[in-house]
Amino acid sequence: MTLSTAVDLIVIGSGPAGQKAAIQGAKAGKRVALIEQTRQVGGACVYQGTIPSKTLRESALQMVRFLQATEVFEFRMRDDIKITNLMTRLDRVMRAHGEFMKAQLTRNGIDCFHGRAGFVSDHEVRIQHLDGSATFVTAPVIVMATGSRPRVPDNIPIDHEHILDSDSILSLVYLPKSLTVLGGGVIASEYASIFALLGVQVTMVDTADRPLKFLDQELTEEFCGSFEKTGGHYRGGQNIHTVQWDGRSHVTTVLESGETLESEKVLVALGRVSNLEHLNLQATGIQPTTRGLISVNTHCQTTVPHIYAVGDVIGPPSLASCSMEQGRRAVCHALGLNSGVSPEHIPMGIYTIPEMSSVGLSEQDAIAKHGGALVGRARFHEIARGQISGMTNGLLKMVADPKGDLLLGVHIVGEGATELIHIGQMGLLHHMPIDRFIDNIFNFPTLAEAYRVAALDIAKQRQH
Amino acid sequence: MAHSSIVSLEQEERETLRAFITDQLGRGNLELPLLPVVANQVLLLSSDPDSEVAQFSSLIQQDQALAGQIIRIANSPAYAPRAPIVSLQQAITWLGLNMLAGLAFSVSVQSGVFHTTGYEQEVRGLWRHALATGLFGKEIARRIRHNVENAFLCGLLHTIGKPAILHLLSQAPGRSTERFSWRTVESLFDDFHVTAGSKLGAAWQLPDPVQETIRYYQDDQYHQASSPTKGAMITCLAHHLASVMLGNSSHDEKSLLTLPVVQDLNFYPEDMTALLELSETIKPSVECFLS
Repeated sequence: MTLSTAVDLIVIGSGPAGQKAAIQGAKAGKRVALIEQTRQVGGACVYQGTIPSKTLRESALQMVRFLQATEVFEFRMRDDIKITNLMTRLDRVMRAHGEFMKAQLTRNGIDCFHGRAGFVSDHEVRIQHLDGSATFVTAPVIVMATGSRPRVPDNIPIDHEHILDSDSILSLVYLPKSLTVLGGGVIASEYASIFALLGVQVTMVDTADRPLKFLDQELTEEFCGSFEKTGGHYRGGQNIHTVQWDGRSHVTTVLESGETLESEKVLVALGRVSNLEHLNLQATGIQPTTRGLISVNTHCQTTVPHIYAVGDVIGPPSLASCSMEQGRRAVCHALGLNSGVSPEHIPMGIYTIPEMSSVGLSEQDAIAKHGGALVGRARFHEIARGQISGMTNGLLKMVADPKGDLLLGVHIVGEGATELIHIGQMGLLHHMPIDRFIDNIFNFPTLAEAYRVAALDIAKQRQH
Repeated sequence: MAHSSIVSLEQEERETLRAFITDQLGRGNLELPLLPVVANQVLLLSSDPDSEVAQFSSLIQQDQALAGQIIRIANSPAYAPRAPIVSLQQAITWLGLNMLAGLAFSVSVQSGVFHTTGYEQEVRGLWRHALATGLFGKEIARRIRHNVENAFLCGLLHTIGKPAILHLLSQAPGRSTERFSWRTVESLFDDFHVTAGSKLGAAWQLPDPVQETIRYYQDDQYHQASSPTKGAMITCLAHHLASVMLGNSSHDEKSLLTLPVVQDLNFYPEDMTALLELSETIKPSVECFLS
């Protein structure tokens, strides 16, 4: 007979969702076991996803700023610039972030286990360690936060050499001359714009007629314009027939239209799949959906009420910020704690170049919901701060009700968009009238002024 | 009595040779073997993003033996061509530019600088292990969803210091025709192959990740490597897997699990089983390269 350690809460996975779930449990005075299959806490967000890609993005932007400074300083870029040179800060950033998280978990008295978790029953989990040994834990509440990994489509032979996914592209040794990016979602758009800015000839291919279709159309149009200025191309409405390395120097992507694209490398960014394969879900009675996700209710409860699922395993929006909140709220619900008001307006940040961010209703959604909308626009190049910073693109778009009185949504494309959006978020949360943005004074010169300019644009259109 | 005198003679010989190699490696003007012209050009060409198949083809054609070897490997069952490969261009297409560059480099180096009379069998064993390490390295990189581009060359050349030591021994004063016991040679490898390999790597201007792997591929060293390619760590495990596959390791499948590098790469028992199962495809590939 194997002895199990009894705890109050088991959390499987230490990414943003699992970490916040575990901390919430510990803060409520519960004994928490956090199980992580990799050596470090933090999940894919820290080691393969958000942080590495943002570090690469930041380096690309720094490089461009340097290039812009060539008018003042005499220097030239190295011809053999390597991705590894651009990622020099990554190790430091990851280590610091990992240590911070580990310290936070330790400070909260959470028991961290390194191993692969698999359900023995709906209350018991087996932790398999690297050396083959196992530990068993039981708890009245279990939270699954196992995250996701890049999807490998059946018809695309990803070899991590010529045909890469969003994990292996981060360990490229040198910048390819050309890159075909398969997909039109967040990851595809982020990498496509970063590599295009670095001088790689990038072609995005997707079934949708425009990338990031869930965003306000004006934002994606602005993004596409900027992407094309850096030499990128978006090929919408295309299905992929085959992808094959020619054995010499190129990967050939054949589209169903018969057209052929050749590039040195291909990045496959056609979605992610949940990490469920080691969980032995059949021991719990939970059935994944046909898309391999876990179905949950508004409290993130699965069909087994004391087992919760949070983060990427439950599907969109798959934002680190939302996942954290899901983890916290799931544990509050499980423990009968007040989780506070449910967040009404969650901003979405997309780290393309230029950045995009959105909160509230899009123009199209506002028209559908309110029978019309007034839209105010402010272009960054018209704002003093934008001119000072040499911004040639950037747009802040405010969406108001048909009378132009109440703020319904804010959509921004341009550098700083993911920070700037929070003013709009606060406005939405407090049901702020449009005039409040006109009556108030913003720092000068700042991009925040764009709110005032856009609000004035709405006021101008009012029917009096 | 007779046994102890043999032991002491061997020890004496070892000490003499150790002193000789220490002296050689300590010299500023160490005479290392020159990289064969073809190997050097292959290396340059393979790191040039503008290189084309035709350039590789004409380069390899300069060395008839090398061209023959490449065609033979491309036609071997390990690479199972759909139709017989009759031209270098076709072989390059079939094997792939990167694999071909590694092979051409390896064949050229083997048959050239490190052809050490008297140790043919042992040198062959060294190359067998190096090739297996390169091939395992690619699979390890693939398994951690890491770019595999450098893994083969890192594995192939990680113990380049060993044949370099043999090369030095052939220059030992008054010993040129004498064959030292392999036990003595192996003991010298243990002491000097990393230093010799590092000097050779620098002299031949091997790519940075390869030089770092040569320096740090060992169990107690790979932590010092900083290249994001993880070449040293990957090669460390690949080295062990190659040793197990070729039957010259003190480890078995179970004890491999306790290696720090297995833990650091976060490989669970099922991952290791899957890697070891690859021996069935790696072994014939290695033999085909060597035959």
